[in-house]
Amino acid sequence: MSSVQGQAIFRDVPGPAPKQASLGQRMYTSRFDYLYIAPALLVMLIVIAYPVYYTIELSFYKTPASLSLADKTFTGIDNYRTVLTSAIFWKVTWQTIIWTVLSTLFSFLLGLGAALALHRAFIGRALLRGLLLIPWVVSAVAASYVWKWLYHSDFGAIGALLNQIGLTKGPVNFIDNSTTSLYALIVVNVWKEFSFAMIMLMAGLQTVPESLLRAAQVDGASAWQRFWHVTLPQLQGVSTVTILLLVVQNFNSFIIPFIMTGGGPVGSTQIWITHIYELAFLRQNWGVGAAYAVLLFLIMMVLGYFYVRALTRGDDKRAGA
Amino acid sequence: MTTITESAVRRRNGPDWWRWTGRLFLVLLLGFTVMPMVWMIITSLKTGFAAMQYPPQWWPAEPTLQNYTRLLDPSGRIGQDFLHYFWNSLWVSTITTILAVVVAVPAAYAFSRFRFPGRNFLFFAVLLRNMFPAVVFLVPLFILMKALGLVNTHGSLILTYLTFGLPLAIWLLKGFYDNIPIQLEQAARIDGATRFQAFIYIVMPLSTPGIIATSIYSFIGAWNEYIYAYTFLTKQSQMTLPVGIQRFFSENATDWPGLMAATFIMSVPVVVLFLVLQKYFVRALTEGAVKH
Repeated sequence: MSSVQGQAIFRDVPGPAPKQASLGQRMYTSRFDYLYIAPALLVMLIVIAYPVYYTIELSFYKTPASLSLADKTFTGIDNYRTVLTSAIFWKVTWQTIIWTVLSTLFSFLLGLGAALALHRAFIGRALLRGLLLIPWVVSAVAASYVWKWLYHSDFGAIGALLNQIGLTKGPVNFIDNSTTSLYALIVVNVWKEFSFAMIMLMAGLQTVPESLLRAAQVDGASAWQRFWHVTLPQLQGVSTVTILLLVVQNFNSFIIPFIMTGGGPVGSTQIWITHIYELAFLRQNWGVGAAYAVLLFLIMMVLGYFYVRALTRGDDKRAGA
Repeated sequence: MTTITESAVRRRNGPDWWRWTGRLFLVLLLGFTVMPMVWMIITSLKTGFAAMQYPPQWWPAEPTLQNYTRLLDPSGRIGQDFLHYFWNSLWVSTITTILAVVVAVPAAYAFSRFRFPGRNFLFFAVLLRNMFPAVVFLVPLFILMKALGLVNTHGSLILTYLTFGLPLAIWLLKGFYDNIPIQLEQAARIDGATRFQAFIYIVMPLSTPGIIATSIYSFIGAWNEYIYAYTFLTKQSQMTLPVGIQRFFSENATDWPGLMAATFIMSVPVVVLFLVLQKYFVRALTEGAVKH
């Protein structure tokens, strides 16, 4: 980050800044400020910095199944080579991409639609908003079991419903079938998280100046034109943050595939995180699992860069306003 | 608001099919959202035999509360376990929430008000925590908890949940503090209050909605967490609800009504809490996190 940007962020922060003071002097002057963030930093340092360091180290060693660190041997980038050349790597990566892209796309679109439809006040709006938010609030474990029951191949409600209206004949397999399982799980995931996009975009919609919309209306813009040329550009900042958070969350999903299918059948719902779990905890292949984790860190850092940039843009704007 | 212009425009555009599209969309979306929950409740009112029928009984022929009484009966084995899980979840989530607020409030305030070297870097380091999945932290954290002597205690969960809840808590609260005019504190300072007094008497009351929102978020996050609870706790007496429910399922794999009743009871506290306090949460996002 350039110092110019940094200045802009601080413009609204009060207090005189000794401009010529050295870093050490400035840190000394604000030594009490650090006390406020010290507890948060301490906790995060213990629980985050150490694991990250440890994972990176593991990824360069071959560690016995017992995880006894005294017996590990240095193997350089062997673990990474194993990851990238394994036959399953591209299958799992492709499934992760499908999972992440479709989940994010549909969550965002449903969320946007709901936010727009709920923007205008009407009787029962708060209740409706509350009902739509429930999936986001309930535990993913509970949601997974409920959907597992809905998808049940013999007694599931969805299959029975499809049979009764004549769309299918006989039992329908949603999650025990390797061609449909991934998509069946994506439906669950979208059900669980579209309301996160909804609530973010609802908040964003409230910041769209009413005067702009009214002006466009007076100029004869249709509802669609108002949405496309006024509302949507105003939502750009919120949308970027929302989409990034959804991508990160979906890429890191674990509970829904783990509980509902365990990655099966025949690996058709295996995504990166469940695969890492399987490598590390079920096969005690610690080094390869750690190598995956480090690659994942790198991907997350790239996404994190865009996330921070999206957030700072907002900060700049506020500081400039 | 209906103004003359608006109704004139509507006349020009003909019937407002745009609005009807929105209504239809909401109805369909509501169906999609509510259908699984309704089916969960209907199933939980059936006997095991009634649930295993084809075609399904869309409405239970003989509705029964037996699944609920069995789970909540402290004299039975299942009831004993379940109430234990419930209590553990409540305890862990409550302590996590209190600690999260205590730690996040000063941090968010400092990030909002003070300018110290490294402020930006530290703030984004805190936010970036959100980007890392729980699974890759499992092994090192397990080793760490062993070293700290916290394995099989609720302390391991509380410490972990605290770090994982802090980033969003700090972010939400910072947004709130950003919107509280600095002049209020300055006025108090001029009147002789210390920085700390100004914080306690001026800033804290104004940020109550933010603190409520943060608390809901922390509580729900801790209540629903599964992966760490699944890894760190092996003693049944310590287990929290998500792990307990999974255990229940692995022991009674065909007892779907019992499982649905358990997921229902597990969902009630967080759903009620959220519905009652949702306006604070929405407001926190609107005022703090989104508005720039």
